Amino acid sequence: MAEQKKRNPRIESFILTLKILFQSPASVFGVVVVLFYIAIALIDQFDPSLIGLTNVNYLTPNFTIPEPLPPSPAHPFGTVYPGIDIYTGILKAIRIDIGFSVFVVVFGSVSGVLIGIISAYFGGWVDEIVMRITDIFFSIPYLVLAIAIGFFMGRTLLILSVGLIIIWWPIYARVVRGQALSIKEQTYVEAARASGVGNTKIMFRHILPNTLAPIFVQFSFDLATIVLTLATLNFIGFAPSNSFLPDMGYLSAIGYEYAVVGDWWTIVFPGFGLLLFALAMNLVGDGLRDALDPRLRR
Amino acid sequence: MKLSTYIIRRVLVLIPTLIGLSLIVFLLTRAGGINMIIASYINPHLPYAVQRAMLIKEFHLNDPLWVQYYYYMMGLLQGNWGYTRTAIYSGPVTTAISMFLPNTIQLSIVAFIIAVVIAIPAGQESAVRKNSFVDQFSRFIAFVGISLPVFWLAQILSEIFATPTISPALNILPLSGTVDATLMAGVPWINSIGVSSPTHIMMIDALLHGDLPIFFSSIRHVILPAATLAFTSIAGIMRYMRASMVESLNQDYVKTARSKGLPEKVVIKVHARKNALIPVVTILGLLFAGLLGGVVVIEDLFSYPGMGLWTVDAILGYDSGGIMGTTIVFGLILVTANFIVDLLYAWIDPRIRLGE
Repeated sequence: MAEQKKRNPRIESFILTLKILFQSPASVFGVVVVLFYIAIALIDQFDPSLIGLTNVNYLTPNFTIPEPLPPSPAHPFGTVYPGIDIYTGILKAIRIDIGFSVFVVVFGSVSGVLIGIISAYFGGWVDEIVMRITDIFFSIPYLVLAIAIGFFMGRTLLILSVGLIIIWWPIYARVVRGQALSIKEQTYVEAARASGVGNTKIMFRHILPNTLAPIFVQFSFDLATIVLTLATLNFIGFAPSNSFLPDMGYLSAIGYEYAVVGDWWTIVFPGFGLLLFALAMNLVGDGLRDALDPRLRR
Repeated sequence: MKLSTYIIRRVLVLIPTLIGLSLIVFLLTRAGGINMIIASYINPHLPYAVQRAMLIKEFHLNDPLWVQYYYYMMGLLQGNWGYTRTAIYSGPVTTAISMFLPNTIQLSIVAFIIAVVIAIPAGQESAVRKNSFVDQFSRFIAFVGISLPVFWLAQILSEIFATPTISPALNILPLSGTVDATLMAGVPWINSIGVSSPTHIMMIDALLHGDLPIFFSSIRHVILPAATLAFTSIAGIMRYMRASMVESLNQDYVKTARSKGLPEKVVIKVHARKNALIPVVTILGLLFAGLLGGVVVIEDLFSYPGMGLWTVDAILGYDSGGIMGTTIVFGLILVTANFIVDLLYAWIDPRIRLGE
């Protein structure tokens, strides 16, 4: 009993969050699907032969039978020109799409959180400048800005991801700033300052942990948005038509010509793969928002 | 504060935003290298070598960046936006904008109206019947709405309604253009590049000139892309309206209205809804941003000749003049939309301007 009482309050809080999260069937569905996608991405990364994949960086064409074939036992989701098996294509795409999304959201949120907390803590002209800069980023539709960055700086996945990080940090900066502004007025922060704790320590030990709840929520919604954004960019032509990039947007793009003449499977399955992940991630985000809401936790 | 003072303040805030917008576009064009900058100003009808030397001199491309920015801005302000060479149009960027921008405005306004007309009542109904089947169903639709890849929805709808080989019975809508080309021929108020006068927006001009066939034809062309576009933003407005309405229904003035015996309909429509709509106005600007992103993909898939189709053609054709023009124009549309939303908000809710 004595041991239980000594348990870390952070761990207690984490367990409570999970408990509330798993009360909703929709969130459970979301978590299960997301874990499934992550498992596939990890298998692709470390041991692709486990699910029968070879050459995970490129879609494998089969030029002996290039024309699209309908779903069959050999090709559960059918094939698309030039003889690409859609099922294995989607399995490969999961790694690229999710890896890309995690990369963008992690770097975007970390830089946004740092900038936001500094902006709120120091206030004054620092805050004013940071907020005007975020205004500027919000003045261009994000997809259009991503297109412009990709167009002028290079159409590679790396540059697209850097472009999206540049576009995404302002959201986190704004969310954290809003939180931090109210927290820095709390008495415990004043107490820490009065007892001589340094600025850096106050920011990161006392303010930061209390701003994280809305960040996690934003984080899960953005994982979905970035996956869709990357697919959209590749769909409208950022992946060259002969690149064989395993991405669900690219798969849909090459399938579209054939879907128009009746080969429905060439677009239905890649699109559904995207929809399922984005839906699951959004459900997790919505569940987290409820689970982390202080009004519901008491 | 008077409304006029508020407007002046809000206009002043626009200035740093516009400078920032132009700086971003400027820096991006410079990141592409000197050949890309020159390519965006090359007139396709004149010899290349002569123009190259002239452009380096005109835009001071060998000078420091801040000098280049000055001449770049001078060019923009004097109407020198360069040239575009894409599959759908080749010529000055400014002419391309005058062709494509009105179509995009028409498309996004129709989409916006569809979205608001569906989402506001749906959100209200979800709040009134909280946790009922209607509420759960609209929640589900909202989640699907934000999770659907726009291009996928557009592909599927275009196959259902506009592809004769797949669904002959439902093949009722056209799949490209803004108006049937046969109707446009020889109409005095439409010029040679297909721009109508006086408002440039085809639907409104058709009504002004009393030309019903063109009006209905343009509705037939715009309805499918607009509905697709609307579906993407219905989710956001609906959820926000629901939250706002739930909050409003719990307020004291609603309880007062109920306790003095007003019928429930009046309580909801007059007392709760009016106040619930105020915060919804603030997110309309944000949703407009999402709408503009969708425009790019949807115009491409439905071959609707607007800014979005031009953008995609510019990507495919490595046309830097086109991308530069579309980025600035999309930015300007969004800045204007946010400006209008802010004014609307101050006008609806006096606390905004009195509170400062």
